[in-house]
Amino acid sequence: MNFFQGIADSFYKALIVQERWKMLLEGLGNTLIIALGATVLGVAIGIVLAIIKYSADGSKNIVIRILDKIASIYITVIRGTPVMVQLFILSTAVLVSIRQGIIIAIIGMGLNSGAYVAEIIRAGINAVDKGQNEAGRSLGLSKGQTMRYIILPQAVKNILPALGNEFIVLLKETSVVGYIAVEDLTFAAQRIKTVSYDPTAFFIAAGVYLVMVIGLTAILRKIERRLARSDHR
Amino acid sequence: MITVKGLTKTFGELLVLDHIDETIEKGEVVCIIGPSGSGKSTFLRCLNLLERPTEGQIFVDGEEITDPKCNLNAMRERMGMVFQQFNLFPHLTILKNMTLAPVLHKQYTKAQAEEKAMALLKRVGVADKAQMYPSQISGGQKQRVAIARALMLDPEIMLFDEPTSALDPEMVGEVLDVMKELAASGMTMAVVTHEMGFARSVASRVMFIDQGKFREQNTPEEFFGNPQNPRLREFLSKVL
Repeated sequence: MNFFQGIADSFYKALIVQERWKMLLEGLGNTLIIALGATVLGVAIGIVLAIIKYSADGSKNIVIRILDKIASIYITVIRGTPVMVQLFILSTAVLVSIRQGIIIAIIGMGLNSGAYVAEIIRAGINAVDKGQNEAGRSLGLSKGQTMRYIILPQAVKNILPALGNEFIVLLKETSVVGYIAVEDLTFAAQRIKTVSYDPTAFFIAAGVYLVMVIGLTAILRKIERRLARSDHR
Repeated sequence: MITVKGLTKTFGELLVLDHIDETIEKGEVVCIIGPSGSGKSTFLRCLNLLERPTEGQIFVDGEEITDPKCNLNAMRERMGMVFQQFNLFPHLTILKNMTLAPVLHKQYTKAQAEEKAMALLKRVGVADKAQMYPSQISGGQKQRVAIARALMLDPEIMLFDEPTSALDPEMVGEVLDVMKELAASGMTMAVVTHEMGFARSVASRVMFIDQGKFREQNTPEEFFGNPQNPRLREFLSKVL
């Protein structure tokens, strides 16, 4: 059996036998669902956390101060512990009543991503020159109006590229959800390897991740160029 | 017009303003000079509460603006501010820079605001740049737009925080000319500046601040011609 036949044989075992390509495809579907769901949840949580942190700055309102403390603790804990351990804790201790692992995976990855998104938004807002805020306030605009009409339109240009990177990281990080028995792309490859005694499925999975990341990166570049074109600084 | 009582500002351990009592009357053009770190910018920024005083009270037309119940945003509409770094909004055209605040305040409709903005831009000599973005015009033009933007709200007093310090030398004159014209029109002005020529020719009163206190103040003739305070004499000998 020559080299090329060997490769063909490996691919045959990884994809064709017992219609194993269907397992990979289903896994890919789950990976995409988790990544998308977690992204939406993560952005929502991130925005809420960022708003809390922004309103708390200089505020004496006790409710906001407490919310701010909670947000800080949340961000510290999430960023300070491995996502896999977070998933184990969710699936075995917090969300035990939820049967579908995929929902736990979405919630877990979303909760995790939210902490990072909050920091991305905060950093993007802080990167806008302080004088912009002062100019807005000196014109009699409220804190909220200054945020909406002056700071945010400029901050978005800092935030969007970093958010894009966060999604790419998130997409790859979903590969740990197999540990809470969710059948994602990585998990499917693992199962095929176990029954076929051949690691080719891992290479195929790696190729699929790579294509998705390269595609996403290209889209992000395009968006960044768009933003740069409307940049008048 | 503005009365300050016991105004004190500290940054941590550092005492920047030291129990200042001062009044600026309507129609005055007050120039504030002093060495760097003397507190002159901080004093100006306290007047519209961009900087919160640590202690003391500030009254505008008898109304205490340091009172927590005071409507700060409404008060700030009455006090225009011009910054050293211009602080135009880079994502908006010159015209939009001008109309944003008055339209949000519902002071004017969009059309009225644009009409007023064009008239003011004409007054400061940059009407032809209305559709451009701040990055596309020179520093002197930016500062003139910033002055016009502040005038959109018909302020009762204009605060200038080193308005020419970030400009190339050949652009200083055009900004000072706009300020002179403004002073001649009767606007009450408080100007932190290093432009001694401007202070001498335009100010109704010049004040010298050092280590958080006003050490001397007088008419420009007396202030520059017959300075008393030793620190002021030393300062003037270095800058004149």
